[in-house]
Amino acid sequence: MTEAIQTKALTKDYGNGRGIFDLDLSITEGEVFGFLGPNGAGKTTTIRLLMGLIHATRGGARIFGLDCDHDSVAAKRKVGYCPGELPQFGGWRGSEIVAYVAGLRGDVKDAAITALAERLDLDLGRKYREYSHGNKQKLALILAFMHQPALVILDEPTTGLDPLVQQEFYGIVRDARTRGATIFISSHVLSEVEHVCDRVGIVRQGHLATVSPLEDLVGMRAFRVDIDFADQVPVERLKQVDGLDQLVVTDHRATGLLRGTFEPLMAAVAGTRVVGFTSREPSLEEIFLTYYR
Amino acid sequence: MMLIRIALKQQTVGLIALGLAGVLGGVLNALAFIQIAGTTPAERAAFAQQMTLLGAQLSYMLPVPVHIDTLSGYLEWRLFGFIVLVYAIWAAIAGSGSGRGDEERGLVEQWLAAGVGRTRYIITRVAVFAAVATVVIGAMQLSILLSAGGEPLPAGELLAMAVNLLAATLCSYGIALVIAQLVTTRRAAGGIAAGLLIALFLINGAGRTADLGAVRWLSPFYHFERSRPLTNAGSLDVGAISVLFGAAVVLTTIGIVTFARRDLGGTALPGASRESRATRSPSRDPLLRLPVLGPLRQQRIWVAAWLVGFVALSASLISITRTIVDSLTSSEVPFLRAYFDRAGLGVYDSFVGVIWLSTAMLLLSAYAIIQVASWSADDAEGRLATILSAPVSHARVILERLATLLVAVGLIAAASAVAVYVVAAGQGITLDGGRVALAAALLLTIPFAFGSIGQFVSASRPRIAVVALSAVAVLSYFVQQFVPLFDLPDWVANLSLYTLFGTPMSGDIKWGGVAGLVGIGTVATAASLIALRQRDVGA
Repeated sequence: MTEAIQTKALTKDYGNGRGIFDLDLSITEGEVFGFLGPNGAGKTTTIRLLMGLIHATRGGARIFGLDCDHDSVAAKRKVGYCPGELPQFGGWRGSEIVAYVAGLRGDVKDAAITALAERLDLDLGRKYREYSHGNKQKLALILAFMHQPALVILDEPTTGLDPLVQQEFYGIVRDARTRGATIFISSHVLSEVEHVCDRVGIVRQGHLATVSPLEDLVGMRAFRVDIDFADQVPVERLKQVDGLDQLVVTDHRATGLLRGTFEPLMAAVAGTRVVGFTSREPSLEEIFLTYYR
Repeated sequence: MMLIRIALKQQTVGLIALGLAGVLGGVLNALAFIQIAGTTPAERAAFAQQMTLLGAQLSYMLPVPVHIDTLSGYLEWRLFGFIVLVYAIWAAIAGSGSGRGDEERGLVEQWLAAGVGRTRYIITRVAVFAAVATVVIGAMQLSILLSAGGEPLPAGELLAMAVNLLAATLCSYGIALVIAQLVTTRRAAGGIAAGLLIALFLINGAGRTADLGAVRWLSPFYHFERSRPLTNAGSLDVGAISVLFGAAVVLTTIGIVTFARRDLGGTALPGASRESRATRSPSRDPLLRLPVLGPLRQQRIWVAAWLVGFVALSASLISITRTIVDSLTSSEVPFLRAYFDRAGLGVYDSFVGVIWLSTAMLLLSAYAIIQVASWSADDAEGRLATILSAPVSHARVILERLATLLVAVGLIAAASAVAVYVVAAGQGITLDGGRVALAAALLLTIPFAFGSIGQFVSASRPRIAVVALSAVAVLSYFVQQFVPLFDLPDWVANLSLYTLFGTPMSGDIKWGGVAGLVGIGTVATAASLIALRQRDVGA
């Protein structure tokens, strides 16, 4: 298989430990790769390096064998890009923006734009400044996918999208993969990349922590749970629960971080009067603090 | 305090640019008077007679001169009569920025979310502008006082003029602030406010020789002009100054109240937002997909407004050529005759060239500066990254920007040339059509040089591009204006881009200067390519 993306010791040093350092990454053609990391970890910097928008301090990156810096024009013929920070197009209409960028690319079919606008339910007749954040994100996705690129680079692409549109977005990603495209998605939410990715790379404080197939990261899956009891908290039984860490008990409430399935926890609280039970996905940073401690 | 600091930061460009322009303008005009007015009573009298005659012919632009044989009278006529318009335009830009610019960038939303009240926010912006305007005007007055060179110029009179100038500036700011509540973009607010103020300036000018009735009262420049503190022992016209300050307070209050009540992102006009036709298809306009024509299409209204405005201005300037030249050539002051000859103002067609081309150079360089501002904004607002995410080279970006600028300027210059030729013919002045066309074509070298320098600075340090290019324009202007007065050597004159352009409608064309402009543009373009290639986009 050809390498769609390959980086060697890719480094962008902004000083004070900010940036991305010695990134070695290899993504094969047709793969959907999730690039996970907390805010400020270096995800956007990596993507901007791949797009040739910024220059590496050292090391380098290639897209389909083309140097991202020196052959950036040729490389970008094969790439669709959705930035993390949306540009401002002021009074331009959506229809004018896609036509203008299509003109810059020169390889875009109007029918493809229309199909994407219909799937994402975006009215291109409105002015950009009138778009909500979600609609601006939809437009950015249209610009990324409209020319059916061989590689799509998406920087936190579901930001601002409602759950229904997110599902449509995952569908677009799957369709792109079906036609053989490689997808590189950055995110700071584990559950987001779970939907579509084959492999996940995790970056933290500018360094690549791990690259693994998605199934290997299931162990990282965790929930922050809060349980309110009517009576005493069954502390000893909770301490025995497999996968329950960071247990804190205050009055009638117990909180903790649960890995794996809920079954052991449910068994532990069976027979007690539970008056409140909430679980939420912890931030990636919280997961890191336990996973890489 | 934070709010004040940020408001001050946003006025930094205005503070530096207008401060420098005011100080330079003040000092150079004061020195110029001392140089050209002579020292003996006879020389002064002759100078006054000539300037009075000239002033009458320039009454469409400058107030009628009074006590022109004194530095006070000269400054009141030559400097303050025009710089009030410069400050008004600055106020229009600042007012539209306060009333719409921050909102466009989402900053107002952030402030409101942080618990800052709308009224407090906008009042802070107004207060900071008033403070900055006071500093800028004060610096100019102080520089004039220090460069008076023994000429009688009481500080009290300068202070009174400063108050008058501040009142007109704040009134202009109020106009812009109100307009900003009626439109949805800063560009529209600034453009309409600046256009309205220029129109009010011209209305006041026309009112000096024609009876316009009460219409003239609408112009803040009329009320500014009613006070002549430098030639009237420092006294201000109480009614006029009250009208200016009163209008400033009323307009600013209207702006503040409207801002506090309207929807963010919306306008105060009911039903201002139009329903758009829903579509899922890209625009079918083929121009959008073509290099140069695509960006130009998006600027079509802006370019058309410049074209119409400049054609109208060119026509009005040429329509008064004959009377101005007649007055100049009857000068009884040898120095002035020599000056006018040296400046190429002695014959009708060369005067047409001077008055038209000098105005065109200033306006087209202003157009180039505005374009450079938008190029810098492309970088800051993510549009450049979007363009470079397509298979587009840095070189194409640089060259397409320049080509778009030159096509727009070419259209404006060509339309203006036609207007000049036709109006001159109507005045009985026969112009060489080929020379007019050539001059219009050569005009492109000015925005080419300015655009290329601006592009280089924008590609290297986008945040300072406008200030740097404005500084080049101001220095070029002052060098061009004052080198003939001080009889400075050619190499000093050639530091000005405007001097390099020369006067192609009179005498030989200064091909060396034209080549210099093209060379500057070419070198700056090449440097831009390297700078943009090496710099991180959006950094």
